[in-house]
Formats: sequence, C-alpha cells, structure tokens
Amino acid sequence: MSDTVLVVGGGPAGLSAAAGISAAGFKAVLVEKEDRLGGAPILSGYAKLVPSGEWAKDAIGRMVEQVEGDANIQVHKSTKVTKLDGDAGNFTATLSNGDTVQVGSVVLATGFTHFDSINKPEWGFGTFPDVLTTTQMEQMVGSGKITCPSDGRVPERVAILLCVGSRDRQIGREWCSKICCTVSANLAMEIKELSPETEVFIYYMDIRTFGLYEDKFYWKSQEEFKVKYVKARIAEVTASDDGRLLVKGEDTLVKRPIVIPFDIVVHAIGMDPNEDNPEIAETFGVGLEKHGYIDKAETYTNTCGTTRKGIYSCGAAYGPETIDDSIAQGKAAGLRAVADLSRA
Amino acid sequence: MATYAEMQEIFDDIRSDFRYDHELNGCLNCGICTATCPSAQFYDYSPREIVQLLWTENVDQIYDAMQEKIWACAQCMTCAARCPFKNSPGGLVAIMREVAIKHGMDSARDVLRPFGRVMLKLITTGNQLSPDMIQPDHFPDWGPNIQKVEGDLKTLRKAIPVKTLQTTATAWEVSLKTSVEMYTIWEMTGVLDALELMDENLFDVIEDFIDEKREEYEDWLEEQEEDDDD
Ligand SMILES: Cc1cc2nc3c(=O)[nH]c(=O)nc-3n(C[C@H](O)[C@H](O)[C@H](O)COP(=O)(O)OP(=O)(O)OC[C@H]3O[C@@H](n4cnc5c(N)ncnc54)[C@H](O)[C@@H]3O)c2cc1C
Ligand code: SF4
Ligand code: SF4
Ligand code: SF4
Repeated sequence: MSDTVLVVGGGPAGLSAAAGISAAGFKAVLVEKEDRLGGAPILSGYAKLVPSGEWAKDAIGRMVEQVEGDANIQVHKSTKVTKLDGDAGNFTATLSNGDTVQVGSVVLATGFTHFDSINKPEWGFGTFPDVLTTTQMEQMVGSGKITCPSDGRVPERVAILLCVGSRDRQIGREWCSKICCTVSANLAMEIKELSPETEVFIYYMDIRTFGLYEDKFYWKSQEEFKVKYVKARIAEVTASDDGRLLVKGEDTLVKRPIVIPFDIVVHAIGMDPNEDNPEIAETFGVGLEKHGYIDKAETYTNTCGTTRKGIYSCGAAYGPETIDDSIAQGKAAGLRAVADLSRA
Repeated sequence: MATYAEMQEIFDDIRSDFRYDHELNGCLNCGICTATCPSAQFYDYSPREIVQLLWTENVDQIYDAMQEKIWACAQCMTCAARCPFKNSPGGLVAIMREVAIKHGMDSARDVLRPFGRVMLKLITTGNQLSPDMIQPDHFPDWGPNIQKVEGDLKTLRKAIPVKTLQTTATAWEVSLKTSVEMYTIWEMTGVLDALELMDENLFDVIEDFIDEKREEYEDWLEEQEEDDDD
C-alpha cells in the first residue's frame, strides 16, 4: 500500500496540491517538465499578479520555496512521466529520468499553453516589432521601462487588444480565457504607473472583470489611470509610412469603421489547452473534453475527478482558470488524492 | 410603405431560406465584419448592423435596410472569412437581395436596371463585359490605368498571345454548347424567373434569343449525326 501521491506539473495548482498532501501527513512526488518550478507566472515572467498586486516572483516564489523545503515532497525537474501502470490505489509510474515510483493516486496539474499569436497573422505579431503579447508586456513592466522595441522611443499610445486567441471560431477557439480582461486592465495601470505620459486604450467585445475584479480593476483603471475602453474588436494591424502601427476596427457604439495610429499594440493572448494534452491523455488514460482540456468528472460528488478512477486534476489543465482558483483546486485535488491513500 | 404583415412575410422568406441557419449563428457584436468591409468605408452601410437586425428579428428595420443599404455590399465575402462566430454577413445580404427581387421591391428594380445591358451581353455572348464596352469615363474606379484602353483596341487585343482572347466584341469566345448549358443553369436556378419579375421587356428579348440559340444547337447536333451516318 502506497503512502504517496504523484503530482504532475509544478505550477500554482501542482505546488498547492503537493504542499497540501504533505500537510495532511502524506508524501508527494512532484514531476515538472521544465527546469524550474512555478508554472506560467514564473516561466513567462509575469509582473504584478491579479488580484493581490504582489510580484509573481515573490508570491509564486514563496510557494516554490515551501515545496522545495519540504522533506515529504520529492521534486523531479526537467522530467516527464512516460508510463503509468496499475490501478487506483496502486500505480507504478515510470519517469523519463529512469526512476520508477509507487503511488496510490495521481494529480494532473499540467496547466495550459499560451496562445501563439502567429496564428492570427492579420494582427501583425511577428510582422511588426512593436506588436507584443501580454506575456512580453508583463516582462517589459518587470524590467521597469516602457519603450518601443523597434527604436526605444517612449510610446505615446498603447493599444491592448482583448480576446486574441479566444472566442474565435475561425481558429477553433470557442472559449473565453477568463482572466485576460482583468490582466489587461491591470497591465494598463502598470504601464501608466511606469509611463504616465503614455495613453492606453483597450479594445474589447465584452469586459469580463468578474466578481470583485469589477471596481478593483475595470473601474479603477478608468477613474485613477484614465485608461480608455473602446467597444470594437480589431480587424487588422498594419503600419503607416512613418513606422507607426495602424489599428483598424469598427467603433460599434459610434458605428463607423476606424483607423487609429499606435506605437505599441499588445495582444491579450488566451489560454490554449496544454499542447502536451494528447500525450498526457495517452500516458495516463484520461479523456479530453471537446476543446482539448482534461475532461472533468461531474463536480458535485466527484470533485476534481477525471474520466479515470484515482486520477485527479485541477487548475488550468481543466480550462482557462485564475491563479487563486487553481491554487484552491490544487488543495481540493490533493484532498481527494490522499483520501484514496487512507482508504487503500 | 408596407404593412407590418408584409414586412413580416418578407422576413419569413429570408429566414426560411435553406442557407439562413448556415450563414447566421448569432452575433458577438464585435464589428470585425464592418471594420474589414470595403463598402462600409464608402457607404452608409454596416454588415454588423444587417446581422443584428436579422438576429433580433427587427422586421421594420430589415425592410428599411432592403430599400437601399443591402445594395451597397460588394459580395466580396471578406466578412465571412473574418467573422469570429463564422457568420456570413455577405451571404445573408445575398439572401435578402433574392427576397427583394421575389417581392418585386422597387429598390431591386432601381438597382438592377443599369445591369440590363450586362445581362443582355451575358446571355448573347457568354461574357458579362467585353473590351469594346470599356470606356474610360465609365470606370473611374480603375484609376489612371484606364487610359491604356484608349487606343486601337483591335491591335491591342491582337497583341495577346492567346488566340481565343484576340476579340473585341467579346472578352473570349464561348461555344454554342456552353451557352446552351448556361441557359439551362439560369433557368433551373431561378435567374430567369427573377429577370422576368424585374424587367419583363428584357426577359422577352432574352427568351426569344434563347429559343433561337437552342434551335441552332439542335440543328448542329443533327448535322453531326448526319455526318456520322455518312
Ligand atoms: C498573460 C497572462 C497573465 C496572467 N496573469 C494572471 C494574474 O495576474 N492572476 C491570475 O490569477 N491569473 C493570471 N493568469 C492565469 C495563470 O497563468 C493561470 O491561472 C495559472 O498559471 C494556472 O496554474 P496551473 O498550475 O494550473 O498551470 P500552469 O501555470 O500552466 O502550470 C503547469 C505546469 O505544468 C508543467 N507541465 C505541463 N505539461 C507537463 C508534462 N507533460 N509533464 C510535466 N510537467 C508538465 C508546466 O511546465 C508548468 O510548470 C495569467 C495568464 C496569462 C496568459
Ligand atoms: S477574459 Fe476578456 S479578453 Fe479574455 S477571452 Fe474573455 S472576454 Fe476576451
Ligand atoms: S461581402 Fe459585403 S458585407 Fe461582406 S465584407 Fe464584402 S462588401 Fe462587406
Ligand atoms: S464579425 Fe461576426 S460576430 Fe462580429 S459583428 Fe460581424 S457578424 Fe457579428
């Protein structure tokens, strides 16, 4: 009988699950394919987090420290699970580093993959150096200076385009990525803090700053930082002769097509299913739902379940999710997983 | 002015078209279609507005849009290639235009009248436009290059290294067999019915012409058989 849970993925969800399993008095083996723990906020260098306002490297860094300092958690970095044998209560996992581990249950915390803006060529990413993604903009905020990558000038006007790689049937992405509206409002304020003379415009189809994010981000960004929200989804980004970017859309409230010059255009990229999911589904014998995320069991009595007994999941592996909710789900999945151990 | 019942009937005709559900899934109201639409740049016309009117079943405003707005669409289908909901605003406009014709709306008649010449050309030659129809004054949208067609048209056309294109009264040669097949297609797809509704005189002229061509074709077929018998 095993007293160990296998946790796959060392992002906010997986870190939370592993810490929870240890706190409950059991052991965890944490397998992370990258050479660092922390998941997307660390790997992509996010700036200040929604909603806490803490720097990602501090907040998520604390989670990493907690896990790495815990003797009950064995961490394998730059490692993947290549094979899973056995059944619920008694699994044997083979790792890519040659190790095998005996575990009673599994938590898949394998997260998401950032949308690659190259798949939306009409919005200019990859063509114009001053078209960036939110992850690149977060890194620029982290560096403390807002400048145009093309020539280093301070931008007069920045446009953030929402729903890039989300809510778009043309490219097979029929989901809302949930967090990018709030992340963009937050990013707009960070830009204004660092570069008060820069004007920031957000182009939206709907604003989804749900729950308590409404006043803290949407309202505040307007009232305190004068961020402008334009109801228009952009059709294309081109460049004018003077090198500035031209953004073309319909102002749907004024009802006319518009072409507006900008210095930087930011894509608020969405959260794709983890590109490893087909492989994960095969290795762990779990199903994927129609968009390609891990298929979730009915939630009311089989919380954090998958299509396979003894295998649980949490966070962005299930679909677009916030950090706070990924962390809470990680704890819940950990609880389900240790309950299997104590019963076995 | 139409009564509400008439406007409702027009809308029912639009939405019962077999393409309707395929072209309209709902609408995110994002404006991408209008932003990319070439006609929206120049006219008081917005594909998003058309989609919204249809989706919200605003029969009054739909009727109003059919008076003028829907005829501004260039049928380029850029909107359909870009809409994140995979609607086809241009496809919906095509349906609305067909319904406008079916109901004999004045707007349809007014817009289509200048195209009578093109229709006649198409039926009689299989080409909608021939080199000798291109006069600089009539094609300002072609820009300064239009001046190049002023000159000795016959010589210019002879310079094209493709024999079937060395014509001036037609853009290319169309065989009798192809013409007759096209008449069948126009008949079966309702193009000729639509023409009859829009312009009865033109329809009569064209009908006579088609009958004549069909006889010619029959004769030609018989000749072939006789040749084979020999
Ligand atoms: C630009 C941007 C900004 C954001 N900012 C915020 C914010 O401010 N606040 C907020 O709440 N949310 C934010 N989010 C959302 C946030 O990124 C997610 O909520 C969070 O990362 C989900 O955590 P996770 O652990 O489920 O997944 P991830 O962070 O994706 O972690 C998954 C981990 O699993 C690893 N992994 C993947 N596949 C395998 C495999 N096959 N084997 C082993 N390991 C594997 C990955 O390397 C990664 O370390 C933002 C998202 C974006 C795109
Ligand atoms: S959260 Fe906002 S930006 Fe992100 S996909 Fe949803 S509506 Fe678009
Ligand atoms: S098909 Fe019509 S509505 Fe669509 S983009 Fe072209 S002109 Fe505009
Ligand atoms: S592009 Fe599609 S979803 Fe957007 S406004 Fe036009 S019809 Fe509606």
